[in-house]
Amino acid sequence: MKRWKGSPCDVDSWVALPVLSDEQSQDVELVEVYAAPILDKKETSRLVRELNSLCPLSGLQHVKRVRPCSERPHTLEVLMCLVSDVPKMQVVSIDSLLPSGGINCNGLGEPFVVKVPARAPLTRPQFELASQHWPTSFHEDKQVTVALRGELFSHHQKERIHAYMASAVTAAREGGVAGMEAIGAVVVDPKTERIIAVGHDCRRKHPLHHAVMVVIDLVARSQGGGFYGFDSYPACRFTSASSVQTEAQIENGTQPYICTGYDLYVTREPCVMCAMALVHSRIGRVFYGVTSADGALGSKFKIHTQKDLNHRFEVYRGVLSRECEDLHSMDDHIKKDRGE
Amino acid sequence: MGTEEGSKEESVELFCPSEEEIERWMARAFDMAKEALENGEVPVGCLMVYKDEVVGKGRNEVNETKNATRHAEMVALDQVLDWCWQSSLDVKSVCERIALYVTVEPCIMCAAALRLLNIPVIVYGCRNERFGGCGSVLDVSSADLPHTGTQFKCISGHRAEEAVDMLKTFYKQQNPNGEKQNHSACLFFLLLMLHYQNVLYFHTLLLLFLHYYSFSSFLTVLNFLSVSAPKPKTRKE
Repeated sequence: MKRWKGSPCDVDSWVALPVLSDEQSQDVELVEVYAAPILDKKETSRLVRELNSLCPLSGLQHVKRVRPCSERPHTLEVLMCLVSDVPKMQVVSIDSLLPSGGINCNGLGEPFVVKVPARAPLTRPQFELASQHWPTSFHEDKQVTVALRGELFSHHQKERIHAYMASAVTAAREGGVAGMEAIGAVVVDPKTERIIAVGHDCRRKHPLHHAVMVVIDLVARSQGGGFYGFDSYPACRFTSASSVQTEAQIENGTQPYICTGYDLYVTREPCVMCAMALVHSRIGRVFYGVTSADGALGSKFKIHTQKDLNHRFEVYRGVLSRECEDLHSMDDHIKKDRGE
Repeated sequence: MGTEEGSKEESVELFCPSEEEIERWMARAFDMAKEALENGEVPVGCLMVYKDEVVGKGRNEVNETKNATRHAEMVALDQVLDWCWQSSLDVKSVCERIALYVTVEPCIMCAAALRLLNIPVIVYGCRNERFGGCGSVLDVSSADLPHTGTQFKCISGHRAEEAVDMLKTFYKQQNPNGEKQNHSACLFFLLLMLHYQNVLYFHTLLLLFLHYYSFSSFLTVLNFLSVSAPKPKTRKE
């Protein structure tokens, strides 16, 4: 299989966005906390120290104890305790919030209720939203931040990604012409920039031969295994591992195990079966074009982030989204012609 | 082709194996698992029964095919499809009247495949805490997935302890033995090479040995994981 020669391609026509876990993508959840103004600034460090030992605000370590507020007469506000930790009361006073004698309340004003972020922010968008409610600390994962801006991949990387997905689109079209659903998939070894396998959906022939299942078996073929023959479909092909083995690999006699370290490019978001097949195959990363209704890498499930599973991987969506969307309409045309 | 129109309606409502059938077919599945264990294979038995006839059975074929999707259920489903094609029967109407008997809960992938083929009911022994797709990790069997075939019914817990014990025995046997063989084979290879090679090569060889060793134990781990079995610690069933 020849390497794709990079003819000028419009890599600016799409953005690859990461498909993050629910924890990373959910809205900011808030929790009610009593706060009080610090009327005498000189008392601040003593108050914070005493409050920290008396009401440690467990589970809210990400929330800063004190916030500045410039628009009010007092300049600082301090968190007292969780609303849920004290019994409900009609009139709230400092004394009713804190055990008597536990703290010297000099310099504290009348308490009030504020909402603070219940969980530590995991992404910059979550951090920015959280900070609107109360100052919050944030341990930034720079890669996630850059990825969410759609700027993770360099121009060269985008060209490669574009080329691989273009191969998947071509395979999808060929599959569509052969009467299958127009879905294509390509497995690539990113270290050598080589295509290992190309395949398309074959479910007219076998109901479980979705494009991903086809390429997984083709990768197995490339390593001397494999169970099915897809030889009757010229667009389903593989490069045998021996011809792409690097010198180092030949030297120490190792072969890649299944899909470890490989990337998958697929025109449509994989279903549950295919997504789990990718977990079992130890895929490195997955790039897909468009989402699917029952998709398991973002839509219905996020199998790649599932905590209980023993392998997780990165997923990016939106690669060549327009071209992949067009395949969908090709599918609809074929179905219409068949009267489905 | 297929079942008669009349029986179709009741197939959805009433198709469910009787206690007697469960007892009988699960006994067969357990025999298969035992046989596998005796042959040093993953002790999982899996049968697909249509009209009192076994139309598919399978064992894990991941290692020989290097295809991590060749779980026992997937192998059995392939046999069902072949059987339908050979008998010129409509796949969907056959599958709608098939019951799967399996000693361990199917993984998420297999559960989705069973849905895609409209298998209505499965009977299984023990839970699969690592990959289970019928409630242990995800519940694919009853999830709202309108484009992924039909939901199926699960009858679980049949001889569960026995199924777990077989898996435990298998991993107890496999892990220490496998390691030992790897050790001795590697060491023998290393010593043989040292005998013939210049000492200068020692460093390279040592690296090679370590590389091979870590790779092989990595393979053992992968094999261990790909059979969709729960960890000994988590097997509470």
